[in-house]
Amino acid sequence: MVRALTAGGELLGWWAALTLLWIVLIGPVDTLEWVVGAGAGLLAAAAARGARRAVGDR
Amino acid sequence: MNGWTAAGTALLLCGFAPAACGVATGRASRRVPAQNVATTLLSLVFLLLAQGFARPAYVDTALVLSVLGPAGTLLFVRLLADQLADHPPGERRLRALTVGNYVAVAAVVLPLSAAAGPGRAMVKLLIIGVLLALGSWVATRAVHAAAAMGHGRGAPAEGMSGDR
Repeated sequence: MVRALTAGGELLGWWAALTLLWIVLIGPVDTLEWVVGAGAGLLAAAAARGARRAVGDR
Repeated sequence: MNGWTAAGTALLLCGFAPAACGVATGRASRRVPAQNVATTLLSLVFLLLAQGFARPAYVDTALVLSVLGPAGTLLFVRLLADQLADHPPGERRLRALTVGNYVAVAAVVLPLSAAAGPGRAMVKLLIIGVLLALGSWVATRAVHAAAAMGHGRGAPAEGMSGDR
């Protein structure tokens, strides 16, 4: 349970940070960009967690 | 021509061109650090020219290069690890190049940020600056690790042992 919560928290953190990064780096900010950014952020968050675990958990 | 395009052109001719020469000639111990410098300077040239021509969209070229430049250098460090180990670049020269990169990034990104004013454009410029500085640091660290293999043969440097 704690493990799942930790994983969810980490994913949420990555997702928030990466979506924010997307919004900062693109040009015009409209609703569609938020939707696309949030989707891409979620994919990237999963990849970031995988990469972090690959490096950290030996 | 305004001050930004003049600065961009000057950096292109006096900074990037010699660095590109360094990439094209000599041993790997010179080419790889020179590649690190060249991609950093080219990214800064893109930033200056984007500001000079008032085309904010061109900033994206600098953003892409700030990520792909260090990645390319890491790739060549890996591919040319043997040559770097045989003829390691000088520690002082490597450090000087890295510090030079930091100074160049700060000298370009800070005035551009001031010109952009508070807002998303400024945050984007600062992110590009941080990416450039971090990329330069990571690439130099990789070159150091490859060179350390040459200094102490048989004792692989951290991150270069290939056992992961």
